[in-house]
Amino acid sequence: MSAIETAVSGNPKKRLSSGLTVTQKVFVRSRNGGATKVVREHYLRNDIPCLSKSCKRCPNIVKANAQGEFPNFVLETDPLFLKNGKIGKHYLILDTNIILSAIDLIESNLSFYDVIIPQTALEEVRNKSFPIYLRVRALCKNEEKRFIVFHNEFKEETFLNRNKDESINDYNDRLIREVAKFYAKHLSDVGINVVLLTNDRNNLSKALNENIITKTLSDYVELLPNADELRDLVPSEFSNDFSRPNEVSYPEYFSTSRINGGIKNGTLYQGSITISSYNFLEGSVSVPSLPKPLLVIGRENLNRAFNGDLCVVELLPRDKWRKPSSTIVDDEVINKNDVADNEDNEIIISDQERRLLTQEAIEAQNSKEIQPTGRVVGIIKRSWRLYVGQIAPNSINQSHTGNAPKSCFVILMDRTLPKIRIRTRRAKELQGKRIVIGVDSWPSTSKYPEGHFVRTLGEIESAEAETEALLLEHDVEYSPFSKNVLDCLPKEGHDWKVPVDLQADEFIKKRKDLRDKLVCSIDPPGCVDIDDALHAVKLPNGNYEVGVHIADVTNFVKSGTALDHEGANRGTSVYLVDKRIDMLPMLLGTDLCSLKPYVDRFAFSVLWELDENADIVNVNFTKSIIKSREAFSYEQAQLRIDNPSQKDDLTEGMRVLLKLSKILKQKRLDAGALNLASPEVKVYMDSETADPGEVEIKKLLDTNSLVEEFMLLANISVARKIYDAFPQTAMLRRHAPPPATNFETLNNMLTIRKKMYVSLESSKALADSLDRCVDPEDPYFNTLLRIMVTRCMMAAEYFSSGSYSYPEFRHYGLAVDIYTHFTSPIRRYCDVVAHRQLAAAIGYETLDPSHRDKNKMELIVRNINKRHRNAQFAGRASIEYYVGQVMRNNESKQEGYIIKIFSNGIVVLVPKFGVESLIKLDQLSNDANTSEFDENNYSLKFKDTNGKMRTVHIFDKCEVEVKSKLDEATGKRRAQLILV
Amino acid sequence: MEVYSPEGLRADGRRWNEVRNFKCHINTHQNSSDGSSYVEMGNTKVVCLVSGPMESPSSGRKPNSSSNLTVSISMPSFVSNSRKKFKKNDKRIQELCIFLVKTFEQIVIMKNYPRTIISISIVVLSQDGGLLPSCVNAITLALIDAGISMYDYVSSINVGLYDTTPLLDLNHLEENDLSFLTLGVVGKSEKISLLLLEDKLSLDNLEKLLAIGIVGCHRIRDIMDQEIRRHGNLRLSKITNK
Repeated sequence: MSAIETAVSGNPKKRLSSGLTVTQKVFVRSRNGGATKVVREHYLRNDIPCLSKSCKRCPNIVKANAQGEFPNFVLETDPLFLKNGKIGKHYLILDTNIILSAIDLIESNLSFYDVIIPQTALEEVRNKSFPIYLRVRALCKNEEKRFIVFHNEFKEETFLNRNKDESINDYNDRLIREVAKFYAKHLSDVGINVVLLTNDRNNLSKALNENIITKTLSDYVELLPNADELRDLVPSEFSNDFSRPNEVSYPEYFSTSRINGGIKNGTLYQGSITISSYNFLEGSVSVPSLPKPLLVIGRENLNRAFNGDLCVVELLPRDKWRKPSSTIVDDEVINKNDVADNEDNEIIISDQERRLLTQEAIEAQNSKEIQPTGRVVGIIKRSWRLYVGQIAPNSINQSHTGNAPKSCFVILMDRTLPKIRIRTRRAKELQGKRIVIGVDSWPSTSKYPEGHFVRTLGEIESAEAETEALLLEHDVEYSPFSKNVLDCLPKEGHDWKVPVDLQADEFIKKRKDLRDKLVCSIDPPGCVDIDDALHAVKLPNGNYEVGVHIADVTNFVKSGTALDHEGANRGTSVYLVDKRIDMLPMLLGTDLCSLKPYVDRFAFSVLWELDENADIVNVNFTKSIIKSREAFSYEQAQLRIDNPSQKDDLTEGMRVLLKLSKILKQKRLDAGALNLASPEVKVYMDSETADPGEVEIKKLLDTNSLVEEFMLLANISVARKIYDAFPQTAMLRRHAPPPATNFETLNNMLTIRKKMYVSLESSKALADSLDRCVDPEDPYFNTLLRIMVTRCMMAAEYFSSGSYSYPEFRHYGLAVDIYTHFTSPIRRYCDVVAHRQLAAAIGYETLDPSHRDKNKMELIVRNINKRHRNAQFAGRASIEYYVGQVMRNNESKQEGYIIKIFSNGIVVLVPKFGVESLIKLDQLSNDANTSEFDENNYSLKFKDTNGKMRTVHIFDKCEVEVKSKLDEATGKRRAQLILV
Repeated sequence: MEVYSPEGLRADGRRWNEVRNFKCHINTHQNSSDGSSYVEMGNTKVVCLVSGPMESPSSGRKPNSSSNLTVSISMPSFVSNSRKKFKKNDKRIQELCIFLVKTFEQIVIMKNYPRTIISISIVVLSQDGGLLPSCVNAITLALIDAGISMYDYVSSINVGLYDTTPLLDLNHLEENDLSFLTLGVVGKSEKISLLLLEDKLSLDNLEKLLAIGIVGCHRIRDIMDQEIRRHGNLRLSKITNK
């Protein structure tokens, strides 16, 4: 909504027979230069309650909603009592500016209970920042915090007409003050005061004139008993004495109208910015209208953009076009000496930074491959969230004592982000701890963004703090399930059983009783959430009946319940080395839904008739009841199949499955399915001490692929069925073919170094060419190449079938035309949706409207894609952390491979630990100036520490010493490699 | 603006089952028509004029070949915020006319008016959602004013669905955001003479919407009935005073 300005005031009110009063809201809206007069009806009513439990009158006036529910009276009869400042028992009323800037503080459990949010303020918040609005709404649902929204503009007593020539802000302030007056009067007989919190000076003085108890946020916090803890949480812009010396001045952003105009006429580009993880001064913005991403180089051009911000860029003149740098630039090295409180630091860019810039500019001029560059001129949407980091030890003024707040820098775990300056009184206390901070602003006069402290997670390197930090960093919801959610579980708890009477209701009648089938499950050892089980029998006609049975989660997770919302929000379970964050409560995941052996369970079954060639003769989907005969681990299953003396029907069934799965796999590979690799490792934990023991590369058995093949088959069959039934909204998964540009560098390196190439015409061609790329001297080279190819791939994504056309449904990696996820509903939400859609497709139950609505599906899909990605990152980060811990005790020499080469460093991958790390030139050589970087041959020549000349090429095998080093700046333990 | 807040209030301050300010008059243009009415539903305001029954101008044609009830709607450019000009043969307006004709052919006792035409013309003065219901209500009143025999009142209202909550009598803002039904009900019965849905709605919710819609229509019928009786008494008193 653009600027709104009122012109008319004093509209007549009219009383209606229904007890309402109607008036008109008249305002002039300017949009695209034109002015439109808008007239809206506005109904005033008397039935809006104050929602205080101590109020005697309001319970008589409330009205029910469409579901027949009456509003809850939330505000406590006995709210916080403050002796200081003559406040006494009180409720709080928040002004818009407080909500917008201090939402973290308001959300914290330390203070802010019994809060009234005036509708006026909420509406303003909603217009300014929708995410904050959502957080306020979430607070109102939280029973513990006791927040309410008071619809003052609809209440006849508190509604005011806008005065002539009154600005919208003044009017809103007046409305909010009216709320305070109303509550003060309304609750005067029960002895509860109201305190209006505002940081608007104008509003503050007016409120004082009108005899309203008013405080600024910081004044109020000072009055609280736990002020010491809270003081630092007050966002920085309110700290009264927060003036910074002008150390840097960034160019101001363009005005909104200029940006809008520029984007419209094509002179400005909009896109989300990605900061290079090797060079914090280089970012790229993908712009749809340009073939290659636009480079943004240098602090001034980046102009305060954070990684992931949606920003607007302007092209720079041709003579400033450059190629992406081949140098590693690390913030900590260059700007180590910045002092948070240094008053004399007037230098805009440090000399060292400048030298680097010129050097690169020269290089760029000599090269042909220049790329257009741009500069950021505006930020449309910040990607700011809560960040985890630690206080930079050298930014604390150690000599300074006393209780005055001091500035210090926080270095974030994400290296692509700048340091954040915060003010705290507890800098020394917080040193060496993982802390959570929020970012408030980045004024153009400040070199670094400003933020505030939120809370501490614990000591650096303690497993708890690190785990929580990485969950927070990857935005994983890890709080325990709320009461609302747990209430949705069956009341019987662990005693829930499949009903004996199979004619009890219409749903159970539709289930097929498959308890006579010899079903078993095969999972990793120690698996408790068993989603899938299998069976196979030879039919009299020579074909095979194969069944895949999936845990019937949707029988317990009904759409629209709190449980369903929670699951949809979490999207996926997250697996860390030592911890699992469940998508659904334990009771379901590990007991009621889990297809445990020897007990009856509800399942959703896919039953095929397959012929000798594993071709599908027909397929049938049904809800069922099964009884698993045995739960095997992969190894147990393998042993049993391999043991010729086992001749029972269950083992025979498994042999059939294994035979068919091999045919299926071959067929899939023939169709061009890719066999890629990742350097993934598994960390074994010592069961006694829970210390990480050893690291092992994941092994694959035949039985692994047995399960996998049938899950793929089930997923494909289900995808076809639900697409058939819901062509517009079927929940599917696609994997786009990688664009050829992703492979340019890799192919170039391959041709030069190994005289090989990978072809890209189709997934089949790629698979075949990968098979050809074998270095007879080095068996690992092929795996290395597969790892590098994996990194050039696009990520697979969930989507609803309406958003793409059928040819685009293709799953490139699996080489199938349509695919979905159906087989793990306990740990993935996509599967839950697929289950519901399949149930509807076979006429078991009707489909919830939210899975039939394109827009709602779009929301679900976007969320689960994000959650899925985050879960993967979190899992990897967890492994990385534990591998670091393992290496701490096992320093050793290992084989490594060079996978990236820069002019001042190389990146080496160590397959044994699955770690990769950067080795900088100054660690390779004592005299960095002797090095020569040959860009066309991907080689680096340098004088090593022993004074001998040495040349390294990309793909070279090399011997490295693996150590684990605690990075002083980020507090992250990571692998340090030393070339020997 | 929240379309429907968790506290149960809509953007304009009404609750889910509250009708906007409904106002109606009949016999507003006694000199220029046989029957006339004026209806306000919130900020949607329409005037309706009825001429007829009168002789069909094209008497040569077979009487039953075409409808002898005609409806025309005129929308001056000041009706909407953006001062958009509506053409005479605007598709949307023609569509509305057809809905109206179809509805009233069933409700007017057409066999009483063979070989005659009844022409209805509507002028929209202001538009804020619920245009079709306002037209239906206005036509009902104008036809009664013109003394044309009908089986019963037709009263109309629209009902939208927000998540799982039905909302009665949508204004323009709500119509843009929600999918909604327009409903016409015969008298105080549960007979539905008009049911229009122009976007998607899941079938499970239909019953809920119909239930609240019928209640809303009855409420409107009562207000219209009051107005007719008030006017009837007025006329009666004029006659008896003479």
